[in-house]
Amino acid sequence: MKAETDDILLAVEHVSLSFGGVRAISDVSFDIRRGEIRAIIGPNGAGKTSMLNVVNGFYHPQKGAIRWRGRARARMKPYEAAAQGIARTFQNVALFKGMTTLDNIMTGRNLRMKRNLFWQALRRGPALDEEIANRRVCEEIIDFLEIEHIRKTPVGALPYGLQKRVELGRALAMEPELLLLDEPMAGMNREEKEDMSRFIVEANRYRGATIALIEHDIGVVMDLSDRVVVLDYGRKIADDVPDKVKSDGKVIGAYLGVSH
Amino acid sequence: MATGGESPEAEDTFAKLLRAHATLRGTRPAFRHKDLGLWQTWTWAEVYDETRAIAQGLIGLGLKRGATIAIVGANRPRLYWSITAAQMIGAVPVPVYADAVADEIAAVLDHSEATIIVAQDQEQVDKILSVRDRLPRLAHLLYDEPRGLNEYAERGLAALAAIAAIGRAALADPAVARDLDRLIDGGRGSDPSVILYTSGTTGRSKGVVLSGERSIGAARCTVAFDRLTDQDEALAYLPLAWVGDHYLNYAQGYVAGFCIACPESAETAANDLREIGPTYHFAPPRAFEALLTRVQIRMEDSGAVKRWLYRAFMDVAGRWGEKIANGEPVPLNARMAYRLGDLLIYAPLKNALGLSRVRVAYTAGEAIGADLFAFYRSIGLNLKQLYGQTEAFLFVTAQTDRAVRSDAVGPPAPNVELRIADSGEVQFKSPGMFVGYFREDDKTRETMTDDGYVKTGDAGFFDPDGQLKIIDRAKDVGRLSGGQLFAPKYIENKLKFFPEIREAVAIGDGRDFVAAMINIELASVANWAERQAIAYASYQELAANPRVYAMIEKRVDAVNRALSLEPVMAGAQIRRFLILPKELDPDDGELTRTQKVRRGVIAERYASLIVGLNSGASEASISAEITYEDGRKGKLEATVRIVDLPPYPPARAPRPPARKANAA
Amino acid sequence: MELLRAVFVDPFAQMVAAPDLLAQTIWEGLVAGVLYSLIALGFVLIYKASGVFNFAQGIMMVFAALTLVGLHEKGVPAWAALILTIAVMYALALAIERLVLRPLVNQPDIILLMATFGITYFLIGFGELVFGGNPKSMITKELLLPDGALDLHILGGKVELQKLDIAAAAIALIMVVSLATFFQRTRIGRALRAVADDHQAALSVGISLDQIWVIVWFTAGVVALATGIFWGARSEVSFALQVVALKALPVLILGGLTSVPGAIVGGLIIGVGEKLGEFYWGPLLGGGIESWLAYVIALAFLLVRPQGLFGERIIERI
Repeated sequence: MKAETDDILLAVEHVSLSFGGVRAISDVSFDIRRGEIRAIIGPNGAGKTSMLNVVNGFYHPQKGAIRWRGRARARMKPYEAAAQGIARTFQNVALFKGMTTLDNIMTGRNLRMKRNLFWQALRRGPALDEEIANRRVCEEIIDFLEIEHIRKTPVGALPYGLQKRVELGRALAMEPELLLLDEPMAGMNREEKEDMSRFIVEANRYRGATIALIEHDIGVVMDLSDRVVVLDYGRKIADDVPDKVKSDGKVIGAYLGVSH
Repeated sequence: MATGGESPEAEDTFAKLLRAHATLRGTRPAFRHKDLGLWQTWTWAEVYDETRAIAQGLIGLGLKRGATIAIVGANRPRLYWSITAAQMIGAVPVPVYADAVADEIAAVLDHSEATIIVAQDQEQVDKILSVRDRLPRLAHLLYDEPRGLNEYAERGLAALAAIAAIGRAALADPAVARDLDRLIDGGRGSDPSVILYTSGTTGRSKGVVLSGERSIGAARCTVAFDRLTDQDEALAYLPLAWVGDHYLNYAQGYVAGFCIACPESAETAANDLREIGPTYHFAPPRAFEALLTRVQIRMEDSGAVKRWLYRAFMDVAGRWGEKIANGEPVPLNARMAYRLGDLLIYAPLKNALGLSRVRVAYTAGEAIGADLFAFYRSIGLNLKQLYGQTEAFLFVTAQTDRAVRSDAVGPPAPNVELRIADSGEVQFKSPGMFVGYFREDDKTRETMTDDGYVKTGDAGFFDPDGQLKIIDRAKDVGRLSGGQLFAPKYIENKLKFFPEIREAVAIGDGRDFVAAMINIELASVANWAERQAIAYASYQELAANPRVYAMIEKRVDAVNRALSLEPVMAGAQIRRFLILPKELDPDDGELTRTQKVRRGVIAERYASLIVGLNSGASEASISAEITYEDGRKGKLEATVRIVDLPPYPPARAPRPPARKANAA
Repeated sequence: MELLRAVFVDPFAQMVAAPDLLAQTIWEGLVAGVLYSLIALGFVLIYKASGVFNFAQGIMMVFAALTLVGLHEKGVPAWAALILTIAVMYALALAIERLVLRPLVNQPDIILLMATFGITYFLIGFGELVFGGNPKSMITKELLLPDGALDLHILGGKVELQKLDIAAAAIALIMVVSLATFFQRTRIGRALRAVADDHQAALSVGISLDQIWVIVWFTAGVVALATGIFWGARSEVSFALQVVALKALPVLILGGLTSVPGAIVGGLIIGVGEKLGEFYWGPLLGGGIESWLAYVIALAFLLVRPQGLFGERIIERI
């Protein structure tokens, strides 16, 4: 079930990022292998979200490089990262609140729509086939995430747990090679967390998405992930399989606040 | 049954009925199911074909005549077909409640001796696998929806589709197909057709064995009674294992040949109802109530003009609607106003609720509020009441289209013999009457009278125009220490007619006075609280709010006033009440799966509160452990206020009571 | 008493007495309204996509019309001038995106508003520099727009429809319908709605903000050209014409800054309301009320319906 190959999808190499004079990330390197679930953990302010923002092009590191599919990646914009197969969800849920669940998920298919705009407007010919095929993909995701009942509900009116699910659905609709999840379970109760864990695992196994996730619930992280990288104050302090990380002195220190 | 084409008359098993429909109306829709956002439809011929494939597959797994096979899941076409497939072979399907917890499922599966289980999806499979060690007979576990199950390597686990494919391949051999035909022909109407487990309001659930000829016979009676044809359509959203679904949708559908539509999921049922627009509909009173609450909330949020129109025309409907529905003479101008109202309000309203095509709608299971009932009748919905039991294969009484009232459940259904025993208990003989309880002959004997009537366990009486009125469970009717009659359910139902009250438990048998524990209806009280600008952080906090208490006190007081008007019941007014800090929940064992209160569990868990109610204390504390569905435990700790109420003096001469006061 | 009668009775009596006049007034109101709608539509498109209140919308209209007429004056045939003007509007959209919006991304709204003031003065200066500051007349005939009038003998009288007005209404209708279809059905439309809702989320699903902004400003430019042609044909093409854009403000108050149907219906209401008011109630106040009546209509409407025409109460969980 784990990708044991050393097929590296994305490598972060000596990346440093600062805002003004404030260092967010200092010389961090790690990689993500094709097919794995990779967790990024660390205390608040450790630079986890900044790291994701670097990976999908929201931020541009001052130093270091990102290798994507083995090639060094030029400075790129988020939509270019998306076009190359990187999808993500956000810590505070970034959905199109006025649109329905279905429309939100359909936006995830936008990059896959290639047909002529004119035919799209008329809903005719190949454009219609394309629309139907994409709708089908979205319906499968709706079925997968068990959100049929909110298909036509504007997402702004949905409870938080469901919004997180819709956001995951939109990211999955992109059929990404790399899926970045920023605290997918924040603010959820136990049952919702179990559901979300199940969706993440199934997305990884059956939908073939390599996943990098940030999560605070250490229990969930240890259960889900194949490898864990630990950040603290913008530095990498550990990078290993969950069992090893759990017993790492520096990690325990960072979490219990002993060393600070 | 003149209008909908011919209907098979001689068939005495469901398998034969299905075969007959496949020839009679092979291209008519038989089943629908919404999948991936689209309605998929199967014709009777297709269903017959699919069902044969499943049956042959089950034969391959060793299913034999007389053996049982359990069906666990929500309303899905393939689960219904599995039921018929088992019946083709002469095996006995046992539908099991899908929302039952693992323990309950294990008990039923074990008792029914099923060797094969057909489960809907991963959730059900997981649940069954978790109790597998208690099911030594279980050999095959089949599932309908493969999602998430790809990597399971459990012994005996297979996809229903795969088994059906094997069956279909085998049926390509004409000899095998002929053998299956012979099995269908060999099915006897007197054989057990299905075992339905009761929901177990009182004690452990029992397996009610029904035969094919009686089931079909009963369904033929009501299909004729309500003039159902193959042009009708029903949404099968009630629990598959419940007698109501098995009767109203499966049995009547197979007899009349109408289309059974399965919703996409339980959450989408309201939407699917709108899309399908069924012509035949059943819903328990609480579902009708939830619909009405939704309408009212939406009307309150709408614009002034709409609100005014709604009020004005609902007034017209309230005054004339029921009379028009019952065929009473009505002045011409009232008729015109009603027509206009239908155009502007009633029809759009029914359409929004998914009820615009409904010809016949039933409600049953508990008492329905007079206002609630009147609301639906007055906007032109042919809503009627029935009284039924699993042991009767549902119908004991049913109201005719022209004699409908909220406070009675109608005269005996066609071909039903009904009597009231000296004890006050209702007893019946009916066409669909059960054969016996599965593996519990002693219980069967206890339930039957010597002359072959079934004891319902309900106390009731006939009113002057011949409609049955049910007061309560016969064994629950008690007396206060002063000797006054105490019918807890009667009082509880009066309380529950208020939208703000979800559940109530009245206590009084053998005691000095009646006390009540009340569960508020979150949706309605929360909405009220919002309008009153009451802030609260949790259910518990809302339930304890003094203004909520004051509002509920008014409702209880109104019930007392109504009770005081009824000579028999005036002595049993509510003297003290409290509001429970937690919603009663089937997951905690406090309600049955059909949402009826389990008195034993409640008496035990809330013992400290009951002591407080019976003392003079002004508050009582509770500390109880609660087990959730997944086995986790939680703790409930609260102190709740108890309110005293002065009783009304009993009315001296019985005067005609208000409609509401008379409802039961 | 006399006054009440003059306000509440007489105008309606006039309407009933001469239905043909009423129809004429309403028609003129509708034509003006359609043009208001188009201008408001330009505002709405840009506001939805980039959150900018585009103060330069009025001047874009003048600039487009001026370019068209100016090019024709310099000897370019009318059809080529039209195509060239569209190309100029595209270049303008590109330039605004590259030089104004992109550098100012993530700046407060007020800065962006200020930037549109800048665009306004740049376009005035640039337009005068290239085409001169004198008023010009629209090249109606060269653009094959009809002239003359169509007389309808109905309602016991004569209603006169200017053919130019009919053309204006038809073209406005075609533009509105095709824009609505385009934004409803195509991927660009879906992307536009996404951008209007949440920039960050739109970026993450691979929508390019730069591209959407160019499309939106270009569309607003084309809409400006259409309105410029018809307003120019009604009076003349000069920088004074930009005040017409101010008429879009009450429309926006009425219809909301984010609603396309609001802009359309709002425009029609304002147009018709204004003409009716001017014709039937204007004389009471000595005429000339057209310039401020639109605001009164919009504000009066808001008293009854605070969320605007098609505004929905914002449903958002906190």
